[in-house]
Amino acid sequence: MSTATFERGYAAFKEQIDSPIAAFFNSCVHCGMCAEACLFYTETGDPKYTPIHKLEPLRKVWYQEYTLLGRLTSLLGLTERLTDADLAEWKHLIYDSCTLCGRCSVVCPVGNDLVYMIRKAREGMVAAGHSPEGQIGAAKRAVIIGSPMGVQFVTLQAQIKHAEKTTGLTIPIDQTGVEFLVVLSSMEIINYPEYLEAIAKIMHQADKTWTLCSSAFEATNTGIQIGSSDIARQLVNRIVEAAENLRVKTVISPECGHAYTVLRWEGPNLIGRPYRFKVRHIIEVLDEFRAGGKLKTEGFEEARLTFHDPCQLVRRGGVIEQPRKLLGMVARNFVEMEDAGKMNWCCGGGGGVSAIDEAEELRTKVFNRKKIQLEKLKVDTLVTACANCRIILEEGLEAYEMDLPVVGLTEMIAEHLVEDK
Amino acid sequence: MSDKTIGDSLREQGISRRGFLKFCATTASLLALPPAMIPQIAYALENTPRQSVIWLSFQECTGCTESLTRSHAPTIEGLIFDHISLDYHHTLQAAAGSAAERAREEAMKKNHGKYLLIVDGSIPTGNPGYSTIAGISNLDMLKEVAAGAAAIVAIGTCAAFGGLPKAAPNPTGAMSVSDLITDKPIINVPGCPPIPIVMTAVIAHFITFGKLPQLDNLNRPMAFYGQNIHDRCYRRPFYEKGLFANTFDDEGAKKGWCLYKLGCKGPTTYNACATTKWNDGVSFPIESGHGCLGCSEPQFWDGGSFYKPLSVPTIKVHDVMAYTAIAGAAVGLTVGGLNAMKKTNAVKQHETVTIDDLERK
Repeated sequence: MSTATFERGYAAFKEQIDSPIAAFFNSCVHCGMCAEACLFYTETGDPKYTPIHKLEPLRKVWYQEYTLLGRLTSLLGLTERLTDADLAEWKHLIYDSCTLCGRCSVVCPVGNDLVYMIRKAREGMVAAGHSPEGQIGAAKRAVIIGSPMGVQFVTLQAQIKHAEKTTGLTIPIDQTGVEFLVVLSSMEIINYPEYLEAIAKIMHQADKTWTLCSSAFEATNTGIQIGSSDIARQLVNRIVEAAENLRVKTVISPECGHAYTVLRWEGPNLIGRPYRFKVRHIIEVLDEFRAGGKLKTEGFEEARLTFHDPCQLVRRGGVIEQPRKLLGMVARNFVEMEDAGKMNWCCGGGGGVSAIDEAEELRTKVFNRKKIQLEKLKVDTLVTACANCRIILEEGLEAYEMDLPVVGLTEMIAEHLVEDK
Repeated sequence: MSDKTIGDSLREQGISRRGFLKFCATTASLLALPPAMIPQIAYALENTPRQSVIWLSFQECTGCTESLTRSHAPTIEGLIFDHISLDYHHTLQAAAGSAAERAREEAMKKNHGKYLLIVDGSIPTGNPGYSTIAGISNLDMLKEVAAGAAAIVAIGTCAAFGGLPKAAPNPTGAMSVSDLITDKPIINVPGCPPIPIVMTAVIAHFITFGKLPQLDNLNRPMAFYGQNIHDRCYRRPFYEKGLFANTFDDEGAKKGWCLYKLGCKGPTTYNACATTKWNDGVSFPIESGHGCLGCSEPQFWDGGSFYKPLSVPTIKVHDVMAYTAIAGAAVGLTVGGLNAMKKTNAVKQHETVTIDDLERK
């Protein structure tokens, strides 16, 4: 049986270094702007959380293996080699204190995509056996059971029954030739079953055909979070196979940031070919329905509310206007938080951080940034479009003793749908 | 004669008050003085007894005197020279022989400690016989006259820095005034020759304020030597655009492009030629199509050919660039190739990560 070793990790680092990474390390001007963009730095003031510093193991391998000077100096024994102890120390920086939120990539004046590099560095960390326990467990459950939270299809079936009862609508399973394949995140199955009801109602009103799939209901991808393309490929393949077997036109990513990033952007690279279907985030689909006049709502939310932008949606997906247009249909008293949209701050739990027990204390500390953003607004309700954000927001608000309900945008829209159609 | 004020002399010469004030204004602006100083200059020039000046010419070509006397007379800078008390200038004075020397001795005695000594030409320190006046060696005469001078103006590059006589191999052991006299205020007005108006303005400043104007590190008046020719040259835009004349009769030369490549020393030469110009503001060497020789700088004769450009590569740039590029590309390709091999091997050796490999066993 094979095992994780330092040598295997080192080889993985070597394998991961490509021309963009070489260019990025060469271009870094050490300006420190990425530090100011990272909430782990701004909320702790600890310079070790400077994003580019988190990449030191990867930089060492690049320098020693791929630069002329680095090769010569390491030949003469003048450079410090990367050690297993380095990796053990950097585990906290590469996993616990990076949510892959992408703010650093956006501010970098020389255009270094730091998230891309962290993502690559995690490949080395996984192979070296330095990934966090919580994520290892989640990855195992995802592969063996089918979901990182250990949710099995029978669990979903129970929720489906419940939703059918509540809505009076049939929820199709494994139907071929429909327009949409809806995939979910475990959090939606366990914590927010109202999401499934909302989808049923919206699809019914928009008169669209859709289905769930018994072999591919889980959209989250722990492979990407832990940083293993091999595992990520295995997981994404389930959805690709299901979508292509069912011959759907579009796969709808749930309200989950990383599920969206993996499905929409990383998936084709992982499987090495283009999809034979489209991928859209549920918010993108809803906005298309809205624009096509297929979304009819009535009444307005009375509460003063604001929207928390999921990082993957705004910075990776560019989905900024859509949620605001949708909110405009149902909310009169909507206010924007500071840095809303493209530069909104992360909830602190993305990128798999929410699965790491050791990171919880730090995660709660850095939630202070979101707390400051929210306190300025004095809102009654916080809306978002990511189940993971939602859980982290709820936990953070509780930790800071703030009484503020968090609502998913899809559910909010569903609640205002014109009935009896 | 020297009891008369300058104002008296000017009126005797029929110079109008207006013409005189114009001169004062010109002097003020040349010296970069505020306009408020114009009345002060006028008052000083009108009421000062004419400054006694002794002019000594040593190893020189008389070009400096020519510059001064040929200067667009009858403009005012010519006039003021008529109206200082030029007590001794062996080229210009009518007296000759012992009478001339007597005039010098008298002036030195009468104005001891007050007269202005102007020197043109360098001083030979080898054989004293190389250059003598009335049997007195240049060195002896300089020392004698300098002893009673209020200040010394070294006119021309020879007096200021040694000039042509000092050029290698310096057969006469020529030296500049400041090499030999160290206990008097000395102002250098270099140039081969200097611009006339620069000479008169320096003298006017001395008369007006009783002291020397602000000087640079080579004791040149900042007002005239504060900026280099290149920075003030009307051809500078062509330099910035990289448009150069490569020969004296090519298209570039005809179009008036920058003469840098033809050896123009403008970038390293500090003088007022590009602004005050010569011959009553008609032109200056670069405007006439020839590069600056750098005549107001020390060692200008020994600075290499006048036609050798400043800091232009001596190697064949294109060849060296080509070889460097080829060598660079070869190194780059080798290193790149090695890197690509390393990366390919790393990818080949990839062991698929499964959930069983995530921990160390």
